Amino acid sequence: MTSYLLRRLAQALLTLLVISMIIFGLISAVPGGIMSAYSENTDMTPEDFARLQAKFGLDQPVPVRYLKWLGNMLQGDWGNSFVSKRPALQEIADRLPNTILLMGSMLIVTLLIAIPLGVFSALKQYSLFDHILTTLALAGQSLPTFWFGLILIIIFSATLKGADGGPLLPGSGMTTPGMPFNLLDLIRHMILPVAMLALISAAGYMRYMRSSMLEVLPKDYVRTARGKGLSERTVLFRHALRNALIPIVTLLGLELPYLFGGALFTETIFAWPGIGRLFFDAAMKTDYPVLMAVLMIFSALIIFSNLLVDVVYTIIDPRITLS
Amino acid sequence: MKHLKLLISLIVLASVLLAACGGGAAPAPATEAPAAPATEAPAAEAPAGPVSGGIVVIGSPQEPGTLNPALASASIEDAISSFIIEGLVMVDDQGKYAPVLAESLPEVSEDGLVVTYKLKKDVKFSNGEPFTCADVKFTLDAILSDLSQASTSGYADIDSLECPDDYTAVATFSQVYAPYLRLFSYIIPKSAGDLASMDTWEFNRMPIGTGPWMLKEWKAGDSLTLVKNPYYREPGKPYLDSLIIRILPSRETGMQLLGTGEIQVLWDLVEADFPALEAMKDKGVTYGAAVTGENELLVFNLADPTVDAPEDPAAAPHPILSDLRVRQALQMAIDKQLIVDTLLSGNVRVGTSVLPTGEFACPQEPSKYDPEAAKKLLDEAGWVPGKDGIREKDGKRLSLKITSTAGNQIREQTEQVLADMFKQIGVELVIENVPSDVLFAGWDSNGLRKHGNFDILLYTTGPGIDPDSHLFGNYHSARIPTAANKGAGNNYSRYINADVDGWIDDASYITDVNARRELYCKVAEQINKDIPRVYLYERLLISGYRENLQNFKVSPGPSDFAWGSQDWWLKP
Repeated sequence: MTSYLLRRLAQALLTLLVISMIIFGLISAVPGGIMSAYSENTDMTPEDFARLQAKFGLDQPVPVRYLKWLGNMLQGDWGNSFVSKRPALQEIADRLPNTILLMGSMLIVTLLIAIPLGVFSALKQYSLFDHILTTLALAGQSLPTFWFGLILIIIFSATLKGADGGPLLPGSGMTTPGMPFNLLDLIRHMILPVAMLALISAAGYMRYMRSSMLEVLPKDYVRTARGKGLSERTVLFRHALRNALIPIVTLLGLELPYLFGGALFTETIFAWPGIGRLFFDAAMKTDYPVLMAVLMIFSALIIFSNLLVDVVYTIIDPRITLS
Repeated sequence: MKHLKLLISLIVLASVLLAACGGGAAPAPATEAPAAPATEAPAAEAPAGPVSGGIVVIGSPQEPGTLNPALASASIEDAISSFIIEGLVMVDDQGKYAPVLAESLPEVSEDGLVVTYKLKKDVKFSNGEPFTCADVKFTLDAILSDLSQASTSGYADIDSLECPDDYTAVATFSQVYAPYLRLFSYIIPKSAGDLASMDTWEFNRMPIGTGPWMLKEWKAGDSLTLVKNPYYREPGKPYLDSLIIRILPSRETGMQLLGTGEIQVLWDLVEADFPALEAMKDKGVTYGAAVTGENELLVFNLADPTVDAPEDPAAAPHPILSDLRVRQALQMAIDKQLIVDTLLSGNVRVGTSVLPTGEFACPQEPSKYDPEAAKKLLDEAGWVPGKDGIREKDGKRLSLKITSTAGNQIREQTEQVLADMFKQIGVELVIENVPSDVLFAGWDSNGLRKHGNFDILLYTTGPGIDPDSHLFGNYHSARIPTAANKGAGNNYSRYINADVDGWIDDASYITDVNARRELYCKVAEQINKDIPRVYLYERLLISGYRENLQNFKVSPGPSDFAWGSQDWWLKP
């Protein structure tokens, strides 16, 4: 176990190193960059340009810049945002709670919808209900987020009016500007983005839940449980459902990094001040310290959550062994 | 046992999620309603006069990164910092220089080398400290410091800045700096911090200024809340209690929120938004606009696009565009008024000159739309119609490539209209757009403008308020980007005219406005004769706002919509 873990960790670090090189190279290859903000400003003298390039470290060749970045990063210095001059990690820390709030709520709502519906759909396989659900699930999975989000805004924010004559549900931001913080206001702002994300991802989870349940139901141990004379409820929930949940746990584990990464489209459409939007803005301005920090943390989370899932597997399913 | 473990892992997972959610809600600070510092309301107020109180929400599709003007790189940063930070001289809504922290426009000595500012007395920063000449000196040091991201043009020529007393600042220049009025458009207080650590100043995200507003809270990615500066010098102002700048996902969302009244001001609209603005008129939406002095224009490449950044287009001429008659013909083939009327709802003026507006305006006669004369010119130049109607000369087709920023609706429409107009005179125009980052890329990123790898470009540029650096940068032969100068300069046409060079140089050594205007007008006239560029229409700086917001103005200078915000009030 220990040697396995060590080997996997070493692999993960190596992968991260390669990823960092690729990302850094790609970002550096993008034309434009921070200096193009000054391209039409003829008041900037050549000396000004030289000073700025030196300040941003852009006067050096890409490999040198990369090694410098790597060296600083290993010492915990991820660099400062070109735009705000604040440490990149600070920028991320500011927005992380917002993203986790959005994505966490989304995941809970998703599971609350998907698991019962998936189970029910499996139990009533080929019924009218099952057909309707599976069709809706397929449609839901195929919805593009940016389109669905705009439709939700048009319906609930632009067209329908609330009691006070304002929009029924706010379509952007986290809180009403100028209002003191209150939980109800926050929840009102969360409804649309969470609903959109949850509906789309619930569609996928429901299909997994359904097929996983269908796979478990004819299993011997379910039949045995029934044969022992257990009540149908006990059979379903203690024996079938728990086994059917194993693949869902895998999925959830793989989903964890997205709690950090946020939802780029959703956050951009609903002006949610999270990591997704930070990434979008940084990409628009080629703010590479921030881009690198977001991408590297995200990559690390993906790699380690994969590792975690593998390890958790061995705990919940003894038939799987490491090595 | 197996199930127990599963259950435990689910519980752990759920509690992690819940903890995360709890953690998410907690840091959002409980903000009390913006408490306005007690200010005595104007005693006797006419019923129609300004009403105190109220909050205005301003929508912006971009978030500023810093509000320190010496580090700013985006126009939204200049605009928002102008709510808080003032300068000695700023650009008003008419595009003229107006004294703000100076008593009057600075006096300049006979030889143009000494500029004297008289400062307003009894002005205080929002932290209560008095504003004096020492702050002017500090601002100069900040701009010239190593970490500064500001342009040092003009500032670098200041030999010494003396403070004979607290309210006089005397700048002595090593050489005449003609656009001296543009200097000190912001003042950074000396209490801002140590120059060696400017990047980490608290001031950058919580600036201190003499303006009507001060920043109370900045929620990253969400909003900035401004409240009254209790030390603002004009009694009773600003009228409003608070301003909130709300970061929006897009201009489209902003238009919608402006329509529903959730925001009162929307920054950064473009001419393409005119139809939507008109449609919202009955919802109480209107707009403010300023002529910026910029033109939407065509840049002709006078040099061979297959040669990398040639220094002299005469040695490597463009096979088609180096011929003046062809450039004349192309300009004559363009019905600029039609473009303005159809694509821009007739709300802008046709481009006539590199200097359309402001103190140094030099408007010219609009170019004549005359496709017949254009055809004749092309005939003379030896380009004769071929089989498919496109002209040819020595087996070469009269086909040109136009490049602009991809995804910009009006530009794409303009290109199609131009292609159609050019086709009328037998010229083929091939549209080949690139993302704006590619179009505006610098020398090191193989920027196609810098390396001269294009036929015709379509984008916007123009002089700000003072044309000195724009004319030099865009039309002076010393500013042709080449390998030797590492791509410095914006003379992408690779236009060389010794007279123009001379006039631009001469004008940069005198401070008299009339004498400078005379020289600049000669430049503008000569450019229209040589046609390195074609001015299609004049660009506007547009902000939408709700009609009940009074005294809303737009300045073509850096303060943009923030100009005069102390006078804003809401009609009940």
